[in-house]
Amino acid sequence: MDESVNPQPNRKVLIIEDEYFISELYVRALEKAGYEVVLAIDGKDGFDKALSDAFDIILLDIMVPTMTGTEILERLRERSPAIKAKIIIITNLEQGEENKQKIEQQADGYIIKAEITPKQLVGFLNNIK
Amino acid sequence: MDHSKKLKTQVYGQIAFGLLAVGAVSVGLWYILFEQMDLDSIVALILAFAGIIGFALVLGELLTRVVLEPIQTLTNAILHVAPNHENAPSSPPNLDAVRIGRELVSSMALQIYQMASHESAKEVETDSRRESIIQAVNVVNHLPLPLFVLNSERQITNASESGIAYVGLESGKLFGQPLEDTIRLEFPSEKTLSSWIDECQKNKVTSTRLWERVRVTLPDQSMKQCDISAHYNRDNPSGAEFIITFFDRTERYSQDDESLGFVALAVHELRTPLTMLRGYIEVLEDELADSVDEEMRDFMHKMNVAAAQLTIFVNNILNVARIEQNQLMMNLTEADWSKTINSVLDDMDVRAKINGITIERNIDKDIPTVGIDNISIYEVVANLIDNAIKYSKGSEKIIVSSRVGDNGLIETTVQDFGIGMPTSVTTNLFEKFYRNHRTRGKAAGTGLGLYLIKSIISAHGGQVWVNSKEGEGSTFGFSVVPYSQLTDEQKQGDGKDIIRQSHGWVKNHSMYRR
Repeated sequence: MDESVNPQPNRKVLIIEDEYFISELYVRALEKAGYEVVLAIDGKDGFDKALSDAFDIILLDIMVPTMTGTEILERLRERSPAIKAKIIIITNLEQGEENKQKIEQQADGYIIKAEITPKQLVGFLNNIK
Repeated sequence: MDHSKKLKTQVYGQIAFGLLAVGAVSVGLWYILFEQMDLDSIVALILAFAGIIGFALVLGELLTRVVLEPIQTLTNAILHVAPNHENAPSSPPNLDAVRIGRELVSSMALQIYQMASHESAKEVETDSRRESIIQAVNVVNHLPLPLFVLNSERQITNASESGIAYVGLESGKLFGQPLEDTIRLEFPSEKTLSSWIDECQKNKVTSTRLWERVRVTLPDQSMKQCDISAHYNRDNPSGAEFIITFFDRTERYSQDDESLGFVALAVHELRTPLTMLRGYIEVLEDELADSVDEEMRDFMHKMNVAAAQLTIFVNNILNVARIEQNQLMMNLTEADWSKTINSVLDDMDVRAKINGITIERNIDKDIPTVGIDNISIYEVVANLIDNAIKYSKGSEKIIVSSRVGDNGLIETTVQDFGIGMPTSVTTNLFEKFYRNHRTRGKAAGTGLGLYLIKSIISAHGGQVWVNSKEGEGSTFGFSVVPYSQLTDEQKQGDGKDIIRQSHGWVKNHSMYRR
C-alpha cells in the first residue's frame, strides 16, 4: 500500500487532540500527504468544529479537556446523525468493557496511537472511504 | 470433589491462623509483662497465662462459629424440608452468609432440596413430571440465590424468585428459553457451562462444577461478574437435570477491575511518550537518512527498533493484567494464515536485521483459513521472535515454519540456534514470571511473554510446546485451529463488519473494497 500519496485529494481532516507533540506529528504527516488539516486542542471547541460538517474524517482523542472523546462521539451521533465524516478514535487508553462496546457501535474506526507511526496513520486514512 | 478439598483447606487455614495468633499473643504478652514492665517472674507468668487463656477462649469461640457454619446451614436446610418438625425454621438457610465452604454447602443444600422434592413427589402419588416440577418450584423458590433449573434441552424450566428478579424478565418469557440465549455467559477458559453439559450428558450420572469470574450479560445489557456453580443429576425425578446457581460477585471483582484501571492508566502514560518517540524517530529516519553517514542511519534504525520493542512490552503488561481479571477477550475471525504470519514477520525483519539475524520463512502454501484473534496472534508471534532474537547470541538466523500438523491443526514453529536450555527448565517455561536462572542477567526480559503466549493460544483452542538443547538452540511451537473446525459459539465472538488489526480496528463499510 502506498502510504505517501492521498488517493482522494483535498480531503479535510479534523484532529481533536490535546497532546501538542502528537498533534504536531499528525498534522505534519497528513499535510505532507495532501490533506487539509484543522486542529482542535479542546473537546468543546472540537465538538463545535465537528458540527459544521465540513470534514471527511475526524480523528478523535478520548482524553481531551472540557469534553471527553466518548462524549463528543455520543453527542455528534445524536445531534448530527447524518454527519458525513468518518469518525476514528485515536487513543492510548484501554477502554473498559462498557465504553468499548459503545465505541464499537458509534465510531468508524479505532487506533491505538502507540501502535502506529504518523506515516502508518496516513496509510490507514488513505484506505478509508 | 474439589469443593470438599477447598473446604478442608479453608478449615485448615482457620485453625492454623488460630494457633499462630495464640502463639503470637503469648510471645507479645511475655515480652510486655516480663521485659517491659519488669514484673516479678511468677506474677508475670500468672498474668500471661490468664491473658492467653482469655484470648484463646474468645478466638476459639469465633473460629468455631465460622467453622461450624457449613454444618449448621446444612442442618437448617434439612430441618427446613423435614415435614412437621417442631423446630423447623420457616425460611431456608442463607447460603450467602456462609463464610467458608460455600460451594460445598450450596451443592449439598441443593441435593437436600432435590431429595425432598423427590420424596414429596412420591407422597402426592402422581408421577406425572409436571406435578413433581411444581414440588421442585416450591423448594427452589425459597432459595435466596439466583438459581435456574434446566432440562436436558438446556431450556429453563424453573427459577428461584430471586433468579427471575435477577434476570429481570417475566417468568413467561424466561421459561422454555435456553439459558444461554437469555443470559450471555463468558467463561475464563474453554471449559464452559456448555462444554460441561456436553460432557455430563455423554458420560456422567451426577456432577458438580464451579466457575469463578464468569462475565454475565443480562437481557437488559447490564454486565455482572459471578461465580457460577452447576449440578447435574441424570436421574432426578423432577426432570430437572441441571441446576445452575449464580453468586453475584460484581462488587468484589469490580474492585479488581479498578486495579486493571490502574494498569490501563499506567499504560496510557507509557504509551503517550512512546507515540511521540516513534513519530519523531520516523521523521528523522525518513528525512535525515540521506544527509547522515551509515553509522547514524544505523543508530536511527536501532532507536526505531528499541521503541517498537517497548511497545510490545507495554502491551504484555496490559494483557497479563487482563488475563488475571478474565478480561482478555478473543474475537476469532477467519484469516489467511500465511498472510497473517508474513505480515508480522515483515514487521520483525527490521528488528532481526539490526541484531545481525535473518528470519527464514518456511510457510506452506496450502494452509486452510484459520480462526484467530488478529491482535493477539500478532503479539504471540512478535513475542516469540523477540525471544528468539534475545537468546540467539552469535547465531545468524531464525527459521519460522508453518504447516498443517497430523491432527489437522496449523502448527507454527520459531527455531533459533542460540544458547538453548537444558530439559530441566523447559517444563516450567510457560509459567508466569518463570525465567531460566542461568540466563537471568544474560538477557533482559520479565518472563511475561511465554505466559501470555500460552494463555492466548489456549484461548484459541491450540497448544504450545518447546524443544531445546543447551548450546544448540530452541524451537518454540504453537498451533491454531482451522476456521472450519471452530464451533458456532466461538465464531459468534465478533460482528462481521469490524476488521481488527494489531493497531486497532475499522468498520468494513468504511474501507475500500478491493
